[in-house]
Amino acid sequence: MDIATTLALVLLFGVVTLLALGAPIAIGIGLASAAAMMVGLGPENGMQTSAQRMFTGTTSFTLLAIPFFILAGVIMNNGGISRRLVDAAKVLSGRLPGSLAHTNVVANMMFGSISGSGVASAAAVGGTMGPMQAKEGYRAEFSAATNIASAPAGLLIPPSNTLIVYSLVSGTSIAALFLAGYLPGILWGLATMVVVAVYAWRRKLKAQSPGSLRAGLKVLLDAVPSLLLIVIVIGGIVGGVFTATEGSAIAVVYALLLSFVYRTIKVRELPSILIESTKITAAVMILIGVSSIMSWVMSYAGIPDLIASTLLGITDNTVMILILMNIVLLLVGTFMDPTPAVLIFTPIFLPIALGFGMDPVHFGIMIVFNLCIGTITPPVGPVLFVGARIAGLRIESVIRSLLPYFAVLVATLMVVTFVPALSLWLPGVAGLMP
Amino acid sequence: ACGSAAGGEDGGATKTLKVAFNQPEGHPQFVAMEELGEKLNERTGGAYDIQVFPNELLGSQQETITGVQSGSIDMSIVVGSLMENVNPDFVAFDLPYVFESSEQQMSVLNDPEITGDLYSSMEEQGIHVAGAFHSGVRNVYTKDKAVPTPSDLSGQKIRVIQNDTMVEMMNLMGGVGTAMGQGDVYTAIQSGVLDGGENNELIYNGLKHDEVAPHYTYTQHLMVPDYLIVNSDLYEGMSEEHRAVFEEEFAAAVDSEVALWETSVEEAKAAAEEAGAEFHEIDTAPFKEAVQPLVDSKLEGSDEARKLYDAAQAAK
Amino acid sequence: MNTLKRIIDTLLAGVCAVLFASLVLLVTWQVFTRFLLDNPSAFSEELATYCFVWLVLFGTALVFGENGHMAMDFIKNRFPLRLKMAVEIAIQLCVIAFAAMVMVRGGLSSASLAWNQATGSIQIPLGILYLALPISGALIIFYSVYSILQIVRLGRPLEDIPGAVRPEVAE
Ligand code: NA
Ligand code: NA
Repeated sequence: MDIATTLALVLLFGVVTLLALGAPIAIGIGLASAAAMMVGLGPENGMQTSAQRMFTGTTSFTLLAIPFFILAGVIMNNGGISRRLVDAAKVLSGRLPGSLAHTNVVANMMFGSISGSGVASAAAVGGTMGPMQAKEGYRAEFSAATNIASAPAGLLIPPSNTLIVYSLVSGTSIAALFLAGYLPGILWGLATMVVVAVYAWRRKLKAQSPGSLRAGLKVLLDAVPSLLLIVIVIGGIVGGVFTATEGSAIAVVYALLLSFVYRTIKVRELPSILIESTKITAAVMILIGVSSIMSWVMSYAGIPDLIASTLLGITDNTVMILILMNIVLLLVGTFMDPTPAVLIFTPIFLPIALGFGMDPVHFGIMIVFNLCIGTITPPVGPVLFVGARIAGLRIESVIRSLLPYFAVLVATLMVVTFVPALSLWLPGVAGLMP
Repeated sequence: ACGSAAGGEDGGATKTLKVAFNQPEGHPQFVAMEELGEKLNERTGGAYDIQVFPNELLGSQQETITGVQSGSIDMSIVVGSLMENVNPDFVAFDLPYVFESSEQQMSVLNDPEITGDLYSSMEEQGIHVAGAFHSGVRNVYTKDKAVPTPSDLSGQKIRVIQNDTMVEMMNLMGGVGTAMGQGDVYTAIQSGVLDGGENNELIYNGLKHDEVAPHYTYTQHLMVPDYLIVNSDLYEGMSEEHRAVFEEEFAAAVDSEVALWETSVEEAKAAAEEAGAEFHEIDTAPFKEAVQPLVDSKLEGSDEARKLYDAAQAAK
Repeated sequence: MNTLKRIIDTLLAGVCAVLFASLVLLVTWQVFTRFLLDNPSAFSEELATYCFVWLVLFGTALVFGENGHMAMDFIKNRFPLRLKMAVEIAIQLCVIAFAAMVMVRGGLSSASLAWNQATGSIQIPLGILYLALPISGALIIFYSVYSILQIVRLGRPLEDIPGAVRPEVAE
């Protein structure tokens, strides 16, 4: 057996066994990769190189944007900023039949536009919207599924931690990727609203009684300082005034100042906010660290070339290759988080895509859109886990209600894959496409 | 670790030397290393072969130094400024205006008479330096107008590598050195956060900076080499005969790399001109004078570095 | 042992809070110098990057202390009680194996190899920065041993021990 096959088997067998047993995902990836590394390089060098990869995999000023966007998110949750956005979403979508479910989707999109995480969104928005929908007679499984299905839209709508990671591995501009994420992210939200509309029509759900115009305006005005954050931070990054990392630090300072103005956060609460953010950051970044071990050992063994040549051996038709890539990525996404998956699969698939003239920004949106679907599928689906737990439901019972959402999201993925303009039009208009 | 006994002609396994590289395939150094691999394989009767891993697949340059030390990577191509972190005397060959041409640079850096103990100074740490590759000449490019003299650079924010020495150098040259990651530079020049950058023609054109900063002025301020470093156990483990072949073929690879580089520069210039860029030849003397304080301060601490610098100057 | 765990928890959380606060200050300082003083600082960027790696490594240990890293446990949760406990102990042993081999052993050899390599701007030996790996690894081993002892002593799976498992945190 040649070295590539041996290492591939060690990796695959190790990861699958460890994850199935319920080991932390970071340990599943890390231990299996280190074992493969030790088989390939000998024990001493294997341990040393694994350690080095884990360390340097997280040594990047660009990745530093991630903890800041996480911290800003935690501050906004504690500081009443998220609540103001949910209220605004209610005003915006209150007149549609099934309005509470629509509000849930819109709130997730708005929350996503200030935070880089889908899980945070599912927890914050689901926590407030779920009980309201239960009171109006929405089925709990349906409410939870709507919340879960729409939360990942925020991973495409900037700021987006996954797009930051993609920018790092692909060398593409964060500004261009951020702008490129808007339309596909909004499309994700609209796709889930189609399912809600059909449900509302079949169950003859009513719209909320519209409040007074005055009250509505007041709620919207109240959300303006929160929304201004998007203009300043994303505008600054996209306009090239500052880097993504600098922009994320500005988001922290802005959110903090706003929370002090609202008097919702006290100075003595700051340590616990920092510690909570540390835990979220560590859980994400350790996956990046161990994935760096895995991507090294895969390159060393020539596994990416093997996958690429297998793929190209099946067909040389561009459309077919893209469909095959999407199928592989959807499968990968079922058991892998978007961040490590982007780190590991971008170096494998991007060269093929560039080979037939696909734009790297468009490819990035496609791969992230695809892997975001994975965040709501079992067995490893962080948004699914959190969304179900917030609703107090078992995962198995939510999945049935999620099926129609999977269908529309996969259909939308095809649109995003085969209509490059959807991703490239906005950055093109802004002159970000060299 | 694997296949320590190199045989080849007596039917032994081929030892494939894994080379870490940070640039893409098609880069002159990648092509030269692949050629080196073919020749090595041919002339050692299949005992050795070379596999180059482009695009930082085996890690950043900084990491690959440690990889070569431990032997988990056989060879790596590493920029001079990172070698300074291992042995500070390497600074002598990284200073502004130390070389005048690629020919002079290559003859100095691949002449054991001049490099003396520098290349063997890290054997105990596991690093053998096989020699140096040319890696282009850095020049300033700007958005609004050419910069023939330091006073033309006055007040202009020029992107430099994230390193305080580079910031200082650009400040001495008359500009405002601004450290920034390469990925953000295009947008920053476009929006006016930066007035320009500094790099060789290949990167200038490759990153399409010619579209936003069309004035490319030949300030020729830096000609930092790249070194091919080899795990020292591996190098010592080669038979004398194989080592001689390796050295000969490496020298040939250096020559062919310089030639490839020149061709690539011509192509990049033509493409940049197509995109609207203008190339300006200037008298570099005022810039050279301006950065002299930096050169002196960098050489201050080490007699060894001063000796190397003087030898390079004398070889003009 | 319980007291020791509480002390380590508090210390680790304190270190992480300080590192995170320094990060915010450093990067805000960088933005400030670039925009207002027109004097960009390469030094703050490098320092921030290394603070960040330390934060991640110590934060990782902190989350291991709560058994809070993301995992899929729905297969394990269907096992009978005794098997479930055995699997949980096996998982902790895997955590110990990773921390001992990669973080402690590999971390120490990385540190010694990079001992004489200076970093770009701040000129701290890279080897010293690598020491966060073995330190964090040792803390993770401590937490895993603690978890195993709890399972054995109380005769219950971790999930049924109050405070042993925090809801997982994820992005
Ligand atoms: Na977002
Ligand atoms: Na999944």
